[in-house]
Amino acid sequence: MNDVKQLVIKLFKSNQINIPANRTDLLDKFLQDEKNAASINIIVENLNQLMGNWKSEEKINEIMQQPVRVLNATVGKPYETSFDFNKLNWKNIVAFEFKGLEEVGLRYDEKTKQITGVPTQSGDIKITFKFKVDGQPEEAPFNEKIIPFIINPDPKSLWKNVESDKNDPYWKENDVTVFAPIGDRHILVSSKRGRSHANVGSYREDDFAFKDLENGWSLVVVADGAGSAKLSRKGSALACNGVVEFFEERESVERLVEFDGLLQQYKSNTGEDIQKKLNHFVYNNLGKAAFQVHKKLEAFATEKSIALKDLNSTLIFMLFKKYDIGYALLSFGVGDCPIAVLNKGITEVVLMNWLDVGEFGGGTRFITMPEIFKNEKFSTRFGFKLVDDFSYLIMMSDGIYDPKFVVEANLPNIKKWKEFLADLGGKNDDGVKVELRADNKEIEQQFSGWMDFWSTGNHDDRTLAIVF
Amino acid sequence: MRRLPVYLLLDTSGSMTGEPIEAVKNGVQVMISSLRQNPQAIETAFISIITFDSVAKQVVPLTDLASFQMVDIKATGTTCLGDALKVVSTCIDNEVAKTTAEQKGDWKPLVFIMTDGIPTDDWQVGLEEFKKRKTAFTVACAAGSGADTNLLKQITENVVSLDTADSQSIAKFFTWVTASIGVTSTKVEDGGKEVTGLGELPPPPSELNIVT
Repeated sequence: MNDVKQLVIKLFKSNQINIPANRTDLLDKFLQDEKNAASINIIVENLNQLMGNWKSEEKINEIMQQPVRVLNATVGKPYETSFDFNKLNWKNIVAFEFKGLEEVGLRYDEKTKQITGVPTQSGDIKITFKFKVDGQPEEAPFNEKIIPFIINPDPKSLWKNVESDKNDPYWKENDVTVFAPIGDRHILVSSKRGRSHANVGSYREDDFAFKDLENGWSLVVVADGAGSAKLSRKGSALACNGVVEFFEERESVERLVEFDGLLQQYKSNTGEDIQKKLNHFVYNNLGKAAFQVHKKLEAFATEKSIALKDLNSTLIFMLFKKYDIGYALLSFGVGDCPIAVLNKGITEVVLMNWLDVGEFGGGTRFITMPEIFKNEKFSTRFGFKLVDDFSYLIMMSDGIYDPKFVVEANLPNIKKWKEFLADLGGKNDDGVKVELRADNKEIEQQFSGWMDFWSTGNHDDRTLAIVF
Repeated sequence: MRRLPVYLLLDTSGSMTGEPIEAVKNGVQVMISSLRQNPQAIETAFISIITFDSVAKQVVPLTDLASFQMVDIKATGTTCLGDALKVVSTCIDNEVAKTTAEQKGDWKPLVFIMTDGIPTDDWQVGLEEFKKRKTAFTVACAAGSGADTNLLKQITENVVSLDTADSQSIAKFFTWVTASIGVTSTKVEDGGKEVTGLGELPPPPSELNIVT
């Protein structure tokens, strides 16, 4: 009663009606009147209603104005993000629904307070959050808050696979995978056009070649044409074939015979300065091969009136031959493609070459550069190793090296090679497995599948040769 | 993976109020959605926004395109370009990974500066700091006649200007920035080569004058 009285006094006062002390009794009587009491009730009710409405309005406004950020999603990638009203400080929501989530493959889970699902389409979309707050009449329409929401396209879907022009005089097949016997072992090799080239319909710039020579030697060559050189696809092809042609020449075949004798001396540790002689032999023979390739590229450039650097390509090659005491391995390398030999127990890795890697991208060297032959480091580009046996002899272009080994410092680490072999064996995101067995009928298919692995930011041509 | 860091230094001084600031916000939004469609950019480019008015601050740290969300920016105060150059220098130190034996570092950052006025702070001090950092290239854009292209020329040789700071011109600038980021990310991913100057970027639209 007292509250009501105070209210009426205040109400009257705001309308310039003051109740002096001598009228208090009269006011009491006035308020007890049935009709007046009913009027006051209505006023109180309306007042409460009005204040309630205002509170709701404020709350609605607050929610509408509050910036809400929802984590970006990606098409095809399981999505989960918290959307908790309490954390947003939205305490008075009594009813709500989301509009626009289901259309893109998502839903709101009230229990976990999460938006979850696998987005089906990309774009800058708008989610409508429809809600009612405490105090709003039941028949009131939902309030609608627009929440911007970004769904990224699946990065894989953005890469186009544009066919290369087969009429181009220097065209080569986009993807090649071969399994074949080599020496007393087998070779599995694949060379694939990178996504960055497929995206614009350009060509594979990597290349490879392998050959069993007449004198018991086997040869494997890998070349990586430079991305910045216009005709590097031809440069790498010429380089690979050039090495094979050189070692097929009668003269080369005969010269390699000398090695048998040197190895005998090496084994028995007889003959003077045998290590020096061997090094000399490797330097002379493989150096000659490298130089002939260089000359061949130069002649081609002259013939076609193009700059030699348009044919820029790295080059690595390896000769191996089985002797009764083990395998002799000879190598040459210019550029950033590693040659590695894993011993029988896979406890040790031998790197046959060092890599030309600059501090900044593009610091590599190419077989087309005349200065490499004059440089003092030229003699260190050759390798000679005599090993009892090996499990794998591996050569690769940087399209494999970059994603799988990342930095040069990882190459001497046998753990990294074990991981690499495990990766080939199926320990990868897609579970793609290559069984490196000579009797594996599906080996080419498996290997080709493995070569397509996804690695963010690594879409260069890939070439990998494994002798086992 | 080697990231391509991109720093956008945006003038949010009072003179940008209204159409210009709205155009800048919109320009960034359109740029991000467009770059998200570029397979090389979405994997390689990381964007950071630094605003400068009476003080400079990094409002969006270096973020990959897929996670990037634009924040609301408002135009107010003076033009502390020098402070912005200081802030970007610190950000480059903290955010851009250097190449070591164990890891491949990021590509050298790209820096785009957009301003419509004359710096109100001691900008040379900031410039001195900034000059010590390696960038692939820095482009400064003078939006409208209030900016001093000669002054910007001291920051970078790559200066472009817009005749007016209206929404259409600003939009064109961002379209060109988008194309430049696209080209650079393709170049680094494909050829392993960095872009070093304006000459290697796509030709700017007619609204953009190259200041020589």
